[in-house]
Amino acid sequence: MKLELRQAFVRDVQWGEKTQMKEGVLFIDKADALSLLAEEKRFTHLDMDLARPGESVRIIPVKDVIEPRCKLEGKGECFPGFIGGSETVGNGATLVLKGAAVVTVGPIVSIQEGLVDMSGPGTEYNPYGATCNVCLLVQPAAGIEKKEYETALREAGIRLAWYIADKCRDAAIDRSDVYEMADSVEGKAAECGSNLPRFVYVCQAISQGLLHDTFLYGVDVKQILPTLVQPQEIMDGAMISANCVSACDKQNTFHHQNNPVVMELCARHGKDLNFLGVIVTTEMMTLVGKIRSSEYTVKLAQMLGAQVAIITEEGCGNPDTDICMNAKNLELAGIKTVVIGNEVAGQNGASQGLADVTPEMNAYVSCGNINELVELPPMKKIIGDIRAIANVSGGDEKSIGSDGTIVCEIQSIIGSTNELGCSKIGCEWI
Amino acid sequence: MVREIEKTAGIPVVHIATIVPIMLTVGSNRIIPGIAIPHPLGKPGNDEEDHAARRKLCERALKAITTKIDKQTVFKE
Repeated sequence: MKLELRQAFVRDVQWGEKTQMKEGVLFIDKADALSLLAEEKRFTHLDMDLARPGESVRIIPVKDVIEPRCKLEGKGECFPGFIGGSETVGNGATLVLKGAAVVTVGPIVSIQEGLVDMSGPGTEYNPYGATCNVCLLVQPAAGIEKKEYETALREAGIRLAWYIADKCRDAAIDRSDVYEMADSVEGKAAECGSNLPRFVYVCQAISQGLLHDTFLYGVDVKQILPTLVQPQEIMDGAMISANCVSACDKQNTFHHQNNPVVMELCARHGKDLNFLGVIVTTEMMTLVGKIRSSEYTVKLAQMLGAQVAIITEEGCGNPDTDICMNAKNLELAGIKTVVIGNEVAGQNGASQGLADVTPEMNAYVSCGNINELVELPPMKKIIGDIRAIANVSGGDEKSIGSDGTIVCEIQSIIGSTNELGCSKIGCEWI
Repeated sequence: MVREIEKTAGIPVVHIATIVPIMLTVGSNRIIPGIAIPHPLGKPGNDEEDHAARRKLCERALKAITTKIDKQTVFKE
């Protein structure tokens, strides 16, 4: 599989008469973009707004963030199962509007949405204070079920992200990266020689229903057994977020597209390791489901001949059992493990950070304590509704000061303790 | 909660929840596996099945509370 990511750097975003890229500026034809969703009956109101790095802007409540991408060459289309058909993606060339993002905003779907700040200390906690954000603002139709509302907003965000990329197919390319590796285990061994350690990446995806879901090629992940994908498929948007887990540790579609574990393992394939592939596994809501998925994950890793597994978590609480089971079962099968996750250690950091532990989980990279308090200064402009903080996990009605200052736990900030490591913070042992 | 009730009030506790490894980690002694995380105590959707599941869990809890144990025990039957 060979994928070229052709990146056009977006340095600014403006309204324009035509949606296009021109000398590093992304222009959005608002009327044309909104006409995409004109037939959508699940919203009564649609609008868009723009937010740029450094502006005094707070966006809340944010549901998902998506990087605009589309296929330039090769089979299928980005976001398979949602845009275009179900062909396997990951080959050919993909346009990436690097530095742009679609941010979906609407009255809260679930308590577990969050905020994005475009300036100030809040920008330290996620990549979205540094992206030029095209915000999609919706009002759901009266009486619509939450599940339908989530579906409509998710689909609208993906369509808008793809639409923007599709209109910029002739954008000047600033940088191009090629990700190439053999399809088969034998081919990868030939690329890497026999001395390099064989790695798999075990990507746990939340899959519990009740607005806690992930889609792979358009398939609801709670309906699958753990499965194998090549890293380039993930870069092409094969994994889509459909979840309302705490804002801090729900993997946005943007995180999947830019998964740092995938990118790093690809970069080191053939140099100091052999990257066998990605095992996408579940975080189920029953014990029997968790056991089945963990057993199956180990079996897939063994079939590939893995020696090392990097495991990432999504969410916290019961998924701690999934990381423990996977670490334990893989270690007992002779496969070394490293887990990347976060901690729920209380505002003073003194509580046990994980709901479940096991001695076999002997290497853990923490992406931070979700309960850490943060003070976010007032912003001149709010995109969305600031009052949403009262219902967001990590905030309450007392979170907003009279001048608009917000004091909340960092779990209210989208992606603040992202468990793929797609953030700037972490913990050190002291 | 389970540990504190047992420790400070001296009242034996049966803990019904879904993810048994977490119950073992937190130190529960009499453990009964529940149905699923969003509905540990029943099977919503079908009244007959729901009633049967609830009765079974209740009877199992009564059995657990009256069984002498000397270590953490999961009551599967």
